[in-house]
Amino acid sequence: MSVATRTIHFTLNGAPVSATIAPHHTLLEVVRDTFGLNGARESCGQGLCGCCTLMVNGQSVSGCLTLAAFADGATVTTVENLAVDGKLSPLQAAFIECGAFQCGFCTSGFLLMATELLESNPRPTEGEIRNHLSGNLCRCATYPEVVRAVQLAAERMA
Amino acid sequence: MIPFELLEPRTLPEALGMLADDDTAVRPIGGGTALMLMMKASVFVPRRLVSLRGLGEALGRIELDAEGALCLGGTATLAALEASDLVRAHAPVITRALPHLSNVRVRHVATVGGALAHADPHMDLPTILAALDARVRIAGPAGHRTLPVDELITGYYETALARNEIITGVTIPAASAGKAAYIKCTTRAADDWPALGVAVNLACSAGRIDAARVVIGAATDKPTRVSGAEAALRGATFSGSTLDHAVTEAVRDAVAREVAYTSDAQGSAAYKRQLARVHIVRTLTAALEG
Amino acid sequence: MDTKVSPDQVIDAQQVGRSVPRMEGAAKVTGRAEYIHNLRLPGVLHGKVFRSRIAHGRILSIDTSAARAVAGVHSVVTGEDIRRIIPEPYYGPAFHDQPILALDKVRYVGEPVAAVLAADPHVAEYAAGLITAEYEELPAVFNEVEAATSSICVHDELKPAITFPDLKHLKGKRNTNVALDYKLRRGDVSAAFASAAHVFEHEFHTQHIMHTPFEPFVALAEPLDDSVTIHSSSQMPAYVRLEIARLLGWPENKVRARTAYLGGGFGAKVYVKIEPLVVALALLARRPVKMSLTMEEQFYVIGKHATTFRIKSAITADGRIAARKCEVFWNGGAYADIGPRVSQKSGFTSTGPYQIECAEIDSAEIYTNLPPAGAFRGFGIPQLVWAYESHTDIIARALKIDPLEFRRRNILHDGQEHPTGTVMRDAEFDEVLVRIAARMGWDAPFDRGTGTKRRGRGIAIGVKASIAPTTSFALVNVSADGSAVLFCNTIDMGQASNTANAQLVAEVLGIPAERVKVTQADTDVTPFDMGTLGSRSMFHMGHAVRLAAEHARTQLEALCAEGGLTYTGEQSVAQAFRKKFGMQAGNIFGVGHYTSRYQPADPATGMSKEVTPFWMIGGTGIELEVDTETGHVTILRMVNVVDAGRAINPRVVETQISGAALMQLGQTMTEEMVFSSAGELTNPSLAYYKIPGIHDMPATIENEAVEAETRNGPFGSKGVGESGTFGVSPAIANAIDDAVGVRLYSLPLTPESIYRAICAARGEPLED
Repeated sequence: MSVATRTIHFTLNGAPVSATIAPHHTLLEVVRDTFGLNGARESCGQGLCGCCTLMVNGQSVSGCLTLAAFADGATVTTVENLAVDGKLSPLQAAFIECGAFQCGFCTSGFLLMATELLESNPRPTEGEIRNHLSGNLCRCATYPEVVRAVQLAAERMA
Repeated sequence: MIPFELLEPRTLPEALGMLADDDTAVRPIGGGTALMLMMKASVFVPRRLVSLRGLGEALGRIELDAEGALCLGGTATLAALEASDLVRAHAPVITRALPHLSNVRVRHVATVGGALAHADPHMDLPTILAALDARVRIAGPAGHRTLPVDELITGYYETALARNEIITGVTIPAASAGKAAYIKCTTRAADDWPALGVAVNLACSAGRIDAARVVIGAATDKPTRVSGAEAALRGATFSGSTLDHAVTEAVRDAVAREVAYTSDAQGSAAYKRQLARVHIVRTLTAALEG
Repeated sequence: MDTKVSPDQVIDAQQVGRSVPRMEGAAKVTGRAEYIHNLRLPGVLHGKVFRSRIAHGRILSIDTSAARAVAGVHSVVTGEDIRRIIPEPYYGPAFHDQPILALDKVRYVGEPVAAVLAADPHVAEYAAGLITAEYEELPAVFNEVEAATSSICVHDELKPAITFPDLKHLKGKRNTNVALDYKLRRGDVSAAFASAAHVFEHEFHTQHIMHTPFEPFVALAEPLDDSVTIHSSSQMPAYVRLEIARLLGWPENKVRARTAYLGGGFGAKVYVKIEPLVVALALLARRPVKMSLTMEEQFYVIGKHATTFRIKSAITADGRIAARKCEVFWNGGAYADIGPRVSQKSGFTSTGPYQIECAEIDSAEIYTNLPPAGAFRGFGIPQLVWAYESHTDIIARALKIDPLEFRRRNILHDGQEHPTGTVMRDAEFDEVLVRIAARMGWDAPFDRGTGTKRRGRGIAIGVKASIAPTTSFALVNVSADGSAVLFCNTIDMGQASNTANAQLVAEVLGIPAERVKVTQADTDVTPFDMGTLGSRSMFHMGHAVRLAAEHARTQLEALCAEGGLTYTGEQSVAQAFRKKFGMQAGNIFGVGHYTSRYQPADPATGMSKEVTPFWMIGGTGIELEVDTETGHVTILRMVNVVDAGRAINPRVVETQISGAALMQLGQTMTEEMVFSSAGELTNPSLAYYKIPGIHDMPATIENEAVEAETRNGPFGSKGVGESGTFGVSPAIANAIDDAVGVRLYSLPLTPESIYRAICAARGEPLED
């Protein structure tokens, strides 16, 4: 298989970066394998579980369904960007406090989605929380704890 | 996935020139959520993908045309529709339905054109657009043409689009904006593709239905209008959100009798027929409640 | 480990019973937690598998030429290639029946036939898709009841591993698909049925299920000079080491198995799964090899048994269960895995948590041409409880006895004998029922709904024995500054075992739990443990950890005394070390091990005075609403109550109850592996195999561990990872019956199945 590569330039967690990619590479592969950021992970491979969630230009996307080429010129952030100087975000702290994860494999996705929700809707109802997180699956089924954690963080950020 | 050529045109003519009518391995890619699934499963192995992402300036707009019709650009994302005040004002049924269609991440990138061109019967938006009497705007090498939604989608994953055509947008006539509702019914997990989608759009005046469009989706190969139900509703009176029992029964019968339901993992045809009989009434009630 | 907690902050405060936050919490919320999924090694090759597309057939030829010709492919390996380094390449904990890659025959759709290695995983995947195979197709058998007597045999000859004495009699047996035939015979069952006031008989079914851990199976093997290191997402590193060493004919110390945090296990990752293949590929290639299965591929590795359960009860005039006959067929798939243990260890509890004087159980593990079935959270118990608690509810309703009252009348109490012959100890069945009823307001009036929305409620309770006899070892290493590290092989796959084990060490040493570090399993340094499964770890490893910490404390106290100091935790230890060695130097090792007691079943009766060191008990109460026009069910309230002994970490216990119950909710309502008539799985993806999402949660969920103490458990505790699953499925079916008067006998309880039952009940069956 001959592969035509190209170089893309984008902002990753606030820093300008570039990567040499092939058209069939996903953004998830590039974030993980080129930049060693392991918080986003491939699980279902179909954009249904949310383990691969990344933020592109401020919007959540499924990294496993996004071609890396489409990130050229974009701003990309990952779960690794949530804590600032080692200080956890209010949502991260609330997830720990409420026990909103068990195995932790899906947690990055839930955190990014919940962060996105609270940015646009600082006091969501339980229904709005469920709606926004309905595209994220947790096989350990910590959904009740996740909802509580988002509510707790929203209260604290108010 | 294996390597392919990825082209990123900046104009529509450029994009049309990159497509080919005779090569099944060349396709346009918008949000790519459906296409990527097919590529990852090797159901579709592209030779060339033509990205429509650079055409957003021209094809991504949501606006009213001179006649006051709502125009949704072909590359407008579902999230853009969800957030649009114009859509909320002129087609609130779309605004209300969107939070329950696919998931947030998909809605951020999936496009109106993609939902139509993919022709997956389990997509909700085509059923809603068909009830709104929407026309699909199509560009090709020979110029532009339009088709009603229910003529664009010809069958199970089949459309009247040529391989070198691109959906540039959808136009929802102002006159068609009536009391409309859509119900998505799932039968496995709550978040799933619909086993049945029911869309109704009622043009009403003073407690009377002047015209109706009734469309069944998901349980069928393609969004399907139910003319018997539309006929039964035409001229029917209602008070509050209640229709005459005889009208309701006629509508239920037409929905059960006229539509060819498919059996699949989401339910047998007989069960989906029952779901449709129940949900047509619930959808009508929701529409009349506004 | 939280170093911000000062060493002596909580000295003498109780560490056990405290809701210590998970030790790995910060790592998990920042995306930095280590999973084998993330492991990258220089020079690694990626392996991708070509799988059988037929259910049963003799391999005539495998054409790998097109795959080999792809640029970038390192090599293509078939079963015959593996024989070059492993002459007898068959593995399995109960039977040595599973080839690393198919040899001679394929036995299910999805069985690995060949593997491609390439540096680029996309290349390996593409090339694997170019492999073709020719087969002589053989007739196949899929249903467990048919297979029990079928002339179509999945294996020509049974090959039990030597590990289990109760499988010895099956060695060399031909013309059978029965891989275990557990029997219990207690009392005069025939007489009891002959004199019964009422006899009830039903047949129940459960479906094939997959665990779908979100970190799919992943393993990376590194061949070294004369040894191999296996990095694997495994619940059982010690067993991985044993089984790989056996396959290679190497001593155990030449095989190193290590893990990191697991992205879920739920029983999928016990024993060996893809490790033998990855090791074989790495040894053949003389390069590190990584295999990361996709979600789709996981469905072809292991699942949960589908079952058929025929149950029959003799009831006396005063509403007591005089006798029960249970016939359980477990669909084990093409390879036994640990299925025979599921069929036996769970099979012997088939009669439920009731006082039953006369009992007969036939529990059989059956080979079929489907993907293998093994351990899944609950180890077979949820399938059994589904049947016996549905059956029990039908009886109560038929006799017009309140379902709670009927259960309480028959429930086992401490000191009474379970039908196996083991006396119940520290088993709070009645209290679990009482607490469910209290939380549900069982005696209060209940809103039954109106029109097309009907409400109902139901309860169910189940029991599970632990897996015995099994052994755990632990080692506590105290450094010269007084800080402690626990070395143990219990795998933290989300159940917070590292946190709980740290609490045990801290409790014994009198230091804060936050100051104790727990290593990830690495068989080069962590001592033997049977594995993290079946809720055995809190009890078995808990004892080993307690003993290791006690052993360390004894030595620490002596060290302090030698220096004229009084032991008061870390600072006193640091001083004592400095006094003895003149500097901050040295270690104290505390070691501990524990083996549970077990008495093998009498071959004639299947009975034993000691089948388990402790009993797990879980019950669920459900309130729900049924849409009578569509069959859709809305769970309004779910109450889960368990006996977990004394909780080491109450918050973790609660999330374990909740998580287990909600996982079982999915298996009750939506999850099902659907096979075509040719044995092909039609829905191997989360798009079509529907696990519960956030909108599927009950409107209200309550979880409780009753006040209890396991007197023979470490600090009064016992396992709790599975108990929440037991009652869920039958409680929902019982509530549906209560709401709309229809009874369902097969899982999952889909809206269509409920609507069809409603139609049938009113004499207007829905056409097919």
